[in-house]
Amino acid sequence: MSVSATTSETEVMTEPVRKSSNKSVWLITPGVIWMLLFLVAPMLMMVYVSFWTQTTFKITPDLTTKSWVTFFTSETYLNSLWTTIRIWLIVLAATLIVGYPAALFVGLFVKNKTLQTALLVLCVIPFWTSFLIRVLAWRPMLGKEGAINLILMKLHIIQQPIEVLLFSELSVVIGMTQIYCVFMVGPIAFMMGRVDQSIIEAAQDLGAGFWRIFRTINLPLTMPGVVVGAIFVSVMVLGEFATAAALSGRKVNLLGNIIVTQVGSLKWAFAAVVGVVLTVLMGIVVAGLLRVVDLKKEL
Amino acid sequence: MQAGGIKLTLGVYIALFLTFLYAPLMVLAILSFQIGPEGGPQFPIIEWSTYWYQHLFGLTPPSRIAPLPIKEALFRSLALAIMTMIVSTVLGVSAAQAFRKRFRGQNFVFYLIVLGMMVPGVLVGLGMALVSNELGVARHWWGTAFVLHVVYTFPFAFLVMLAIFNRFDQSVEEAAWSLGVSPARTFRKVTFPLIFPGVLSAMLFAFTLSYDEFSRTLFASGRDLTLPLAIYGTFSVEVHPNVFAFGVLTTLFSFALLSVYAILMMLSMRRAKRIAIQEEA
Repeated sequence: MSVSATTSETEVMTEPVRKSSNKSVWLITPGVIWMLLFLVAPMLMMVYVSFWTQTTFKITPDLTTKSWVTFFTSETYLNSLWTTIRIWLIVLAATLIVGYPAALFVGLFVKNKTLQTALLVLCVIPFWTSFLIRVLAWRPMLGKEGAINLILMKLHIIQQPIEVLLFSELSVVIGMTQIYCVFMVGPIAFMMGRVDQSIIEAAQDLGAGFWRIFRTINLPLTMPGVVVGAIFVSVMVLGEFATAAALSGRKVNLLGNIIVTQVGSLKWAFAAVVGVVLTVLMGIVVAGLLRVVDLKKEL
Repeated sequence: MQAGGIKLTLGVYIALFLTFLYAPLMVLAILSFQIGPEGGPQFPIIEWSTYWYQHLFGLTPPSRIAPLPIKEALFRSLALAIMTMIVSTVLGVSAAQAFRKRFRGQNFVFYLIVLGMMVPGVLVGLGMALVSNELGVARHWWGTAFVLHVVYTFPFAFLVMLAIFNRFDQSVEEAAWSLGVSPARTFRKVTFPLIFPGVLSAMLFAFTLSYDEFSRTLFASGRDLTLPLAIYGTFSVEVHPNVFAFGVLTTLFSFALLSVYAILMMLSMRRAKRIAIQEEA
C-alpha cells in the first residue's frame, strides 16, 4: 500500500520527494557514522593488529604472521577453541531441551491470554536483573555446602556432597543454560502462538493424536523460532567469559577468557588473533544457522 | 498418552522450569541476611541480620572484609546509563524515521545497525582498546566505554521504533502538512505524542542494558570502575554475602525502574484513550 502511494507521489510532485529523501539522509547519517567509527573501525583494527609483531610488553606495527602461527601450534589455544565449541554445542542443546517444552506449554496449552502473558513475563523478568549477579547466584546453589547438596543430603538421596557441581565444566553449563534459555523460549513461544488453530483442529477431526500433530504441524512451524533462538544463544555463548570466570574456578578457558588474560598481560597481538578467530567462528555459526531456515520467507 | 496427560506433565514442567529460573536468586536473597562478619555465603543461616546491608553502606565497624567500592561506581553507572539512553534513543528514533522512506543502501544500513547488538562485547571492547592505544586517546568510562554502550543499545532503540512506525497511521501527519504546519512542528505536536510509548520502551531498553553492561566496559573504561566492573572484581576472590546484599538491592532497583515504566506507559495509554473518546464525541 505504502509503495503505491510513494510511486504516485513521485509522479505528481517530484520536488518535495527529493527534499524528503534528502531529509532521510540527514536522519540516518549520524547513526551510520557512529556504527562505522565505533563498531566497524575497531573490528578492522583488531584484524590489522593481529598481524603486528608482539614483544614482551609492546606491539610494533611490523607485519608478521607470528601470532597466528603461535595460536595454531599452541595446545593451550587450540584446547580453548575446542572447549568453546564444546560448551557452545552443549549449552545450545541444553537451552533447546529445557526451553522447548516450556514454550510448548505456554504457546499451545495456555489459552487464557492474560495467563499466557503473565507466564512469559515471569520468564523474562530475570533478564532485567543484573547478569553478573545471576551468574554469582549459582555459587551458593552449587557449592559443596550449597543449597542443592544440602537438600539432596536432607532427603537422603546422597550421602556425600557432590563436589563436581561447582568449579567444573558442569557448573558453567548449568549457569549458562539458566541465563540464556530465556532467549530460546521467547522466539519459540512467539512462533507457537502464531500456529493457526484451525489446522490443529482439522488434524484432530481427522483423528491425529497429540504426538502426530506435534511432529507434523507444531514442530515444523516453530523451526524459525528455534533458529532465531539458536542465533541469540550462540552469539552470546560464544562471546562469553564471565560465567566461566565465576563458576569454573579457572578450569574452563573459553576464547573470551583467553582474550581477557592476554589483554591483562598486554599481549595485544595475541588477543587480537583470538578475537579474529572468535569472529570467524561466530560468522560460520550464524551463516550456518541462517541456512537451515530461510528466515525472510518464514517470518 | 492423552493430550490431557501431556498438558498436566507440561504444567508440572513449567513449574520446575520457573523454579530453575528463580531458585538461585531466592537463595541469594535469603543468604544476604546472614549474620556478619563471621557468617559465610552458605547455609545454614547462623542468625538473621541486616549486617551485610549496613556493610554495603559503610555503617559497620571495619572488618577484614573490604567494602565494595560502590559509591562512586554507582554514580558512574547511572551517569553512563543516562548518557547512553539519551543518545541511543535520539539515534534510534531518527534512524527509524529515515527508514519510513525507501532509500538506497537501506538493507546495508539495517544490517550495519543490527550488527551492533550481535557482536560480543569482548570483541568490540578489544577493538576499541586497540584503536585508542593507536590514537593515543585515554580510555574512560565517559568516552570510549560510552560510545560502545551506544553501539550496543542503539540497535535495540532502532528496532523498537521501527516496529512502532510500522503500525503508524501516516494520514494524521499528512493532514497536518496539508494544513500548512511545518514538518518540525508536525513532528513535535503530532508524530511524537503518537510514538511516545515506543520512545519510552527504547529508553528503558537502553538504560537497563547500559546499566548492566560490563564486557564492553571492561577493556574500554580505563581505571575507574562502574558497578558491574566492581562486581566482576569479586569473581576472582572469595565471595562474601555483601555481594549478595548488593545483588538484592540492584534487583529491587531494576524492578522499581520497570514499575516507573509501567506507570508512565499506563498514563500515556489512558491519555490516548481519553483523546479518542473526545474525538468520537
